[in-house]
Amino acid sequence: MTSNGNTTYLRFGLFHRFGHFLIIISFFGLVLTGMPLVFKDYGWAHFLYNLMGGYPTAGNIHRICALITFVATFLHFAFLAFETLVRKNRNIFWGPESLLIQPKDLLNILGDILWFFRLGKRPQFERYIYWEKFEYLSLMWGTMVMAVTGFILWFPVQSANLVPAKLATFIDLPSIALVAHRYEALLAAGFIFSIHFLHTHLLPENIPVDEAMFTGRVDEGHFKHERGAYYERLKEEGQLEELKVPPASSKAKFVSKLMGLPLLGVGLLMVGFMLSSLICSLASVFVDLTKNIHFDIFSIFAF
Amino acid sequence: MVSLLKTTIKVIGDSKACRFVFISCLFSCLLFFTSAFSSESLFAQENSECFECHTDPAEVGDKVRVDPVTGEVELVSMLVDEDAFHASAHGGEDFYCIDCHADLEDVDLEETEGGHYPNLQPVDCITFCHDDPAETFLEGSHANLMREKGVELPTCKHCHAGEKSKMFTPKADDLYHRMDTIGKCGGCHTEYYDSYRNNLHGQVTALGHVDTDIATCVDCHGQHTILNSSDPESTLGPENAKETCGNCHPGASGSFLKHIAHPQYKNLGYYKSAVVGLLNIRKDPGQLGSIIKSPQIILTILFVMYVGILVITFAQFGTHMLLSWLGTLLDERKGKDSKHDK
Repeated sequence: MTSNGNTTYLRFGLFHRFGHFLIIISFFGLVLTGMPLVFKDYGWAHFLYNLMGGYPTAGNIHRICALITFVATFLHFAFLAFETLVRKNRNIFWGPESLLIQPKDLLNILGDILWFFRLGKRPQFERYIYWEKFEYLSLMWGTMVMAVTGFILWFPVQSANLVPAKLATFIDLPSIALVAHRYEALLAAGFIFSIHFLHTHLLPENIPVDEAMFTGRVDEGHFKHERGAYYERLKEEGQLEELKVPPASSKAKFVSKLMGLPLLGVGLLMVGFMLSSLICSLASVFVDLTKNIHFDIFSIFAF
Repeated sequence: MVSLLKTTIKVIGDSKACRFVFISCLFSCLLFFTSAFSSESLFAQENSECFECHTDPAEVGDKVRVDPVTGEVELVSMLVDEDAFHASAHGGEDFYCIDCHADLEDVDLEETEGGHYPNLQPVDCITFCHDDPAETFLEGSHANLMREKGVELPTCKHCHAGEKSKMFTPKADDLYHRMDTIGKCGGCHTEYYDSYRNNLHGQVTALGHVDTDIATCVDCHGQHTILNSSDPESTLGPENAKETCGNCHPGASGSFLKHIAHPQYKNLGYYKSAVVGLLNIRKDPGQLGSIIKSPQIILTILFVMYVGILVITFAQFGTHMLLSWLGTLLDERKGKDSKHDK
């Protein structure tokens, strides 16, 4: 095995890359048409909402993107069902290849905390690192919440009538759905645009874009450094050769950068807007709370 | 002129009746001319006569006005923009200033030394012109409350733009009107305005889209007969709500009508009242009970929970990310150093 950097391995198949692409399109569409409604008091929200087509259009884009998300989710679950039922692949739910939290991940978290404080070496990671598992699970949970609440908001009359009239004075389904939808959206958008971006694409070794998700390929040095345990395991089991692929063409690299960078820019811009608006809102709440307190700093000179 | 008069009389002859008619004619002519050329003896009847002073900043200035409803003192300019007036709903050809400012009718400007008396009566929109909407307005909660509290009725101008309302403006469906209404109602009902903005209706209208299929204040609460929503006769009473909500949400019925249009979870006063209820739990358990039993409590718990989740998530992952960044950078530097050593 030569380690001259020219050997590349396949990390994501075409199916997963296509799924990620669908999620990117729909997620950006959803955030760009939905976020202005949350930050309705700020100028950028007005601009963005009108840019996305104003009242009925932006809402329709939002619904179309929601349907794209459903397609992606459906594809994902169809894949899971195919793997478990047809291929009898048990690795999805248990074992080093699983995306669910494993006992070893807890050790990895502890090891990483020790590494943060320079008390040890960084643990060697398996196919999916623990924070990637958290991201995946929160994406699953978030999509579920957003889908259910989104459908309630899409069909408020029909969904409200699912609640019996006696309980309806206490449980107002559309309002509950609105609160959950709004803050789950803030959580999701904030998480993806800051934590996910910084954890994968803006890491010192990946900056500016981690091309693995777009070209599907990683070179050997990077692979070894990032997921050492996975690399060693594959080597031992002799599966490494199967994953060997020709390196990505410069065209594919260029296209993935061309797609990744603007999206990265838009996402970071959104985080900036959201963060600054949040600070403004908190400041106005602070002013609101303290408006009855009159404290004159110059009163100390009265003595 | 007198000699001319004498000669004409001589020419015509000396019939006494003829002479009387002629003199009286001349006298009235004389009177007409003098009145036309002197500004001292005007009757304020024509718009042009009002504009003569009310467009001239040298003649009229600002005046202190006390709002009959709120009691606020404000400075009002007495200048009238003639163009704006003619573009307004009341600026047509057959409208006169004194149609609305009726107490100026027959005021002799000569008697009052060039100006009329100050402090005109509030304009009465109702009696002669707009008696149709006014009748329903006088049945509404606003009018009742004002009567009870003994303050003067809010004039139409409190909500409508008065002389500034534009000509040929379609009333209810006009987007400018719909946007304006939210601000006008919200100016007094600030708490309801804030909670409306937390609802989806208010979110969309806040972004400047007030199309007729998004509810503004008047779409739910009615336009002139605005009754308190707890009143069964109001547009949001149990019987009428079906129709009111059904205008936009076809088939609205049952549980859907229990929608909370004014969620309180962002209202600081709501949390204060909850704390007060908690402190008074021994004296008056009902106070806290009513807060707990209201449908707002689920929304509030959900909101507080989500704020907690947001804070914890971002604090935790933010720290993790910063530390792993730092760790990677330090590792890279270390690796470079060891390479140099070799």
